[in-house]
Amino acid sequence: MERRTALKLMGASAAMAGVGLMPGRANAADKVTIALIPGLTADGFYVTMHKGAEAAAKAVGAELIYQGAAEWNVSLQVPILDAIIAKKPSAILIAPTDKTQLIAPLKKAFDAGITVVCVDTFIGNGVFQTGSGDADFPISYVASDNLLGGRIAARALAKAIGEKGKVYVSNVKPGVSTTDQREEGFKDEMKKYPNITVLETQFNDDDANKAAAQLQAVYGRVPDLAGVFGANLFSAGGTANGVKQAGLTGKVKLAGFDAPESIVAQLKDGTFELTVAQHPAEIGYFGYISAYAHVTGNPVPTSIGTGFSVMTKDNIDDPNVSKYLYKSS
Amino acid sequence: MTITATTPSRSLPHPVILWIAQLRAWVFLIMLVVFFETWARLAYGSSFIFNIYNLQSIGVFAAAPLMLALGETFVIISAGIDLSLGFIMGLSSVIAAHASNYLALRYGVPPFVAMLLAISAGALVAVIPGLVNGWLIAFLDVPPFIGTLGMYGVARGAAYLFAGGMTVAVNNEWFSAIGNDRVYGVPILVIIAAIICLILHYLLSQTHFGQHTYAFGASRVAARRAGINVKRLLVKIYLLSGVMAGLAGALYTGRFSAGAAQAGEALQLDSVAAVVIGGASLFGGSGTIWGTIAGALVIAVIQYGLVFINVEPFWQFIAVGAVIIISVLVDQKQRGLTGGREVE
Amino acid sequence: MSESQPILSVRNVSKAFGAVQALNKVSFDVHPGQVVALAGDNGAGKSTIIKAISGVFRHDSGDILFAGQPINFRTPHEARDAGIETIYQDLALADNLSIGENIFLGREPKRRLFGFLPVLDRKAMAEAGKGAMASLDFHVTRLDAPAGAFSGGQRQAIAIGRAIYWNARLVIMDEPTAALGVPEQRRVKALIKNLRGQGKGIIFISHNLRDIFEVSDEIVVFRRGENAGVRRPSEVSQEDIVMLMVGG
Repeated sequence: MERRTALKLMGASAAMAGVGLMPGRANAADKVTIALIPGLTADGFYVTMHKGAEAAAKAVGAELIYQGAAEWNVSLQVPILDAIIAKKPSAILIAPTDKTQLIAPLKKAFDAGITVVCVDTFIGNGVFQTGSGDADFPISYVASDNLLGGRIAARALAKAIGEKGKVYVSNVKPGVSTTDQREEGFKDEMKKYPNITVLETQFNDDDANKAAAQLQAVYGRVPDLAGVFGANLFSAGGTANGVKQAGLTGKVKLAGFDAPESIVAQLKDGTFELTVAQHPAEIGYFGYISAYAHVTGNPVPTSIGTGFSVMTKDNIDDPNVSKYLYKSS
Repeated sequence: MTITATTPSRSLPHPVILWIAQLRAWVFLIMLVVFFETWARLAYGSSFIFNIYNLQSIGVFAAAPLMLALGETFVIISAGIDLSLGFIMGLSSVIAAHASNYLALRYGVPPFVAMLLAISAGALVAVIPGLVNGWLIAFLDVPPFIGTLGMYGVARGAAYLFAGGMTVAVNNEWFSAIGNDRVYGVPILVIIAAIICLILHYLLSQTHFGQHTYAFGASRVAARRAGINVKRLLVKIYLLSGVMAGLAGALYTGRFSAGAAQAGEALQLDSVAAVVIGGASLFGGSGTIWGTIAGALVIAVIQYGLVFINVEPFWQFIAVGAVIIISVLVDQKQRGLTGGREVE
Repeated sequence: MSESQPILSVRNVSKAFGAVQALNKVSFDVHPGQVVALAGDNGAGKSTIIKAISGVFRHDSGDILFAGQPINFRTPHEARDAGIETIYQDLALADNLSIGENIFLGREPKRRLFGFLPVLDRKAMAEAGKGAMASLDFHVTRLDAPAGAFSGGQRQAIAIGRAIYWNARLVIMDEPTAALGVPEQRRVKALIKNLRGQGKGIIFISHNLRDIFEVSDEIVVFRRGENAGVRRPSEVSQEDIVMLMVGG
């Protein structure tokens, strides 16, 4: 099953049509170069996003530079950003590792005449080109609508547990815009189900061992725990292990986020009830195209939301669904 | 003139009191357990500790941090520190995953054998950073903090490189069994950790290696003058801590069916904390395996217990930090009592 | 071996470090049961001759005979094994280990538990420690006490006890009373006399003329790398020794 923010995408498509995806249109002497800086490189999500951006670059006949740190860390990302700015690309697509600390470094890029597009995460509040605020200068924010993602997870999990019971969110740490929004969307949607109680969120610092122990501790005091939403890979994976060790597979239903290739086996053996897969290739693709469009003098929507696919063991074999699995290389 | 001096200038308390003071980490642990038990009974009417399920969960939770802490114990007793263990664990986790997959795919090795070989591969690959650490510290006189900090970076990079940016999925039911199954209710991970504890306790308290580690930690000069091959001793110490981390990494892969470069990242500081809570001094010369076990359990019980009684999770960090500070304060006081002896 | 044969014989020993002649044809003897003090200003050569005797380095020319044999030590450990024990100012004790463990450091005895499992023989170490200390009139009540819990003079006793246990025949002590209070200094001097009574040869370096006069049988004065004179304390005054030291 697919959901799309159809309106937003149609708007984007209209802009693309205006541009015309014509290769060779740009003057060969000043080939457009656009840089992509992911949140981290060691992640299938960003690997897939990179592929999407590559496809866009090929489609318009422009260049793509890809540079990133191996870990999600401001002090690793900023030096890379500075190095890229020195290369003077036409535009930078970036997944900022912190919504406040990256404002000043990115402003430098903007002041140097470089177009800035935020992908996946944002700076400031993610609403750009309003005319106010110091994080207003990026031209667009292209991402999964993580609030929506949380809602989708909530709906799917609610259905899986029969719309009643106790659930909680297993999250990484507060302050990361993407996971914060997923949690927010999840909790908000769950308000619609009067028979479902959402317990305190557990933070595991991206450590699977902790996530597992937290699941076991919560279950120890809540024997009728029905489901858990793991807001990212290690949260979900660790919680799954905790469920397995307690012998609760199938009894406590797990909703995950993201879809690395390993998720297939885990869906099939029941470790995960479902996972909400983002479409990072689309983020990369539309991010690149927006930047290119702007650089070549065309209007671009200030936010583009890509969609999700809910994967379960019933649909994972369908190629229309499995194509959204994240690539590892 | 005779110099009949019958007692040390600082009089020692009775051996039993000394013994209790040395095992104060266990006293801490008991106090914590009583605290959580009381709370659980009052708030939920159920038991915290007389609960097989909780015991199993805490045991598994503490197994990996404990293994790192056991290696770190020898290092800290020698007045050193090893900051690279977290990512040695990650590197080994990734290599073990690749080994299991490679053996199964290329050579069709049966899962049981593949599991054994993969665990060995994980432990063996850890020999490299362990030896390099030892060599830097023993032969090039690099301070342990700096040397292992450098290795932390190298192991981290290597781990991510070998992982190719993702966790490395593993499909091996024996490997998964080692990490998740139980024998008569006792998780296999806990059994493995317990066996390692016994072996290391013997090493530390009954061999020349352990004895000389204590001596070196108290006085490098004394160790050298006594004819101890100090360089070889140091290499052995860091090799041991590396291999412990390697083993922990391989077992992680079995448990989560995936090798991950960041497998041990969150465990590094906790491992040092466990050793210190257990009674070791960061200046070297003291520490015990039993103390480290208690230290690791204290941290695990705090983290698990707070979730169990549904307290705001940020209290965890405050609680563990407070325990470390109290431990060190008590330790200072106790040093006055015993004159600095706290050996296995 | 008769009492009159020296346990140590230094004959015309010279040693240079680059352009500096640290020792120049130095000669003196130490007999069993004799305390020889080395006196002299800083840099006069006292530490250098000690290090040559105890195997830290080789002398350039001349002979050093220990128990009648010329020495050929490649490391200080060989000197120790031959029966020459050197106690430096830092004492080289492991403060976290007991007396017995310090005595046996590096060569701890083992026994077999249940007949097969090798474990450290702590009982034997403790007994040996007790015995060695008793021979120095130091009766220990708490054998498990760490070396760090003892006073300065007591720790000297432990270092000496270590030497005695391993049957050192020549004990060299570098500034044994420095940094000690008066009562502790008295204890150390008593220890030295005790050692002499046991038939050991003793060399000690000191800047404290009072101690030298109280304890030693002979004083060898060093000045600028040379033996400026050997005197008996009963025959000279402290000023005489000082004059020899500075060259007057």
